[in-house]
Amino acid sequence: MSRFLFVVPPLVGHINPAAAVAGELAARGHEVAWAGHPGLLGRLLTRQDPVFPVDTPEEKPRPAGLRGFAALKHLWEEGFVPLAEAMEPGVERAIRAFHPDVAVVDQQTVAGALVAERSGLPFVTSMTTSAELLGAAGTPKVDEWIRERLGELRQRIGDGRAAYDPRFSPLLTLAFTTVDLVGPYPDPGGPVAFVGPALAERPDDPGFPWDWVDADPDRRLVLLTMGTVNSEAGARFLSEAVEAVRARPGRLRAVVADPGGALGEEPFRDDHVLIARSVPQGALLERAAAVVCHAGHNTVAEALWNGVPLVVAPIRDDQPAVAMQVTEAGAGVRVRFARADRQSVGAALDTVLDNPVYAAAARRIGDSFRAAGGAAAAASHVEKLAADA
Amino acid sequence: MSVAQPAEAAQDTVLATVADMIREILGGEDLAELDIDMETRFGDDLELESIDMVALSESLEAHYGDRVNFAAFVAEMELDEIISLTVGRLVDYVVASLRAAEES
Repeated sequence: MSRFLFVVPPLVGHINPAAAVAGELAARGHEVAWAGHPGLLGRLLTRQDPVFPVDTPEEKPRPAGLRGFAALKHLWEEGFVPLAEAMEPGVERAIRAFHPDVAVVDQQTVAGALVAERSGLPFVTSMTTSAELLGAAGTPKVDEWIRERLGELRQRIGDGRAAYDPRFSPLLTLAFTTVDLVGPYPDPGGPVAFVGPALAERPDDPGFPWDWVDADPDRRLVLLTMGTVNSEAGARFLSEAVEAVRARPGRLRAVVADPGGALGEEPFRDDHVLIARSVPQGALLERAAAVVCHAGHNTVAEALWNGVPLVVAPIRDDQPAVAMQVTEAGAGVRVRFARADRQSVGAALDTVLDNPVYAAAARRIGDSFRAAGGAAAAASHVEKLAADA
Repeated sequence: MSVAQPAEAAQDTVLATVADMIREILGGEDLAELDIDMETRFGDDLELESIDMVALSESLEAHYGDRVNFAAFVAEMELDEIISLTVGRLVDYVVASLRAAEES
């Protein structure tokens, strides 16, 4: 039996797929431990794995208007680099105390890769979103800039002699998606295993008013979920999308996830729209006919898993790249987060709902996800590496 | 290859062409009111993503052929230059490329 250390950032969407793989390994009799944010891991892990706490920088909200390349620069300078430096001592302690055979490190916690590399510990990259795989297409100096930041970090906390890109393990990168969605990609320098999404079992939401959903099976259900948007632009987009549904009163209804309370402090419902702070996304997607979302990787994966076509309005980070994958695969239509209005969101909804090719493409990708093996396939890959180590 | 009309390389002609391409890429929505001038920034003002830059590169190539090499133009640019890139800087590059092609 082997010992696996999972190194994760303080991000739910990154921890959940790792937890699914860890659970699979534990079920096969291996020992699993975590290096990450203790509070968040305590809430998300269903088993009593040992958790080695790491420091994480205090969260500073990014300026809401920051997008595109400016957001990319900010993400590295104010996000990934300080995160790696804060996590480094905790990752070091976890490796010394737990003696793992293999580390499974999140792609965005560079400390995991660099401390493993300087310790001579084999590691696998856990890539929970596929944007990095596509690289900085057409902008080589941007990629060079990222590599310089990684090189500086490596001098401080890694093995300064190493030369590969620490975002991709030379042994293996686990990609929680499939080539059917990603499309062609440049060689990242190490092998990639496409295992499909490892969707977390979500706890039931006993308070959710399913009677509202069940009351009207004739009108098609739209799920509107943009993550936590609390900016003015986010509130504007959400209300335009709601109006797009209201403009189709005989055909559509919408459940709106509004965790930030952008549309109001109180939950709201009438005959057409139900707005709640939290919604049981997975269960709703089993009944939804379309999703309007920001193209966060997990929401997209969950929608496609259920064969639901999408209207994507990417905001920043990996979202534009994921949105492009969705449109290139034919499973959705893109609208502009900053400019779309009720007419354009409505037209996009009509397109994905009325033309069956979108749902067919979504189902095809969903089939590829199920065939890829998910957490069990991921566990088999890392198990084999540990046996070889 | 067709001979370039002299007016094609005029700054305002190029600006109008490039602005139309950008509106096409932002596409699908009513963009008639969207002002695009020499000072307009691709990032702050238009919120163009890297994937949109790829689309713009394709539009430029379709329109100007190999006389304008947008890929080379962007490939030379540092991250901070891309962040602050204006439509005017691209227009100037296109104008210079077209004139160079005329002279060669």
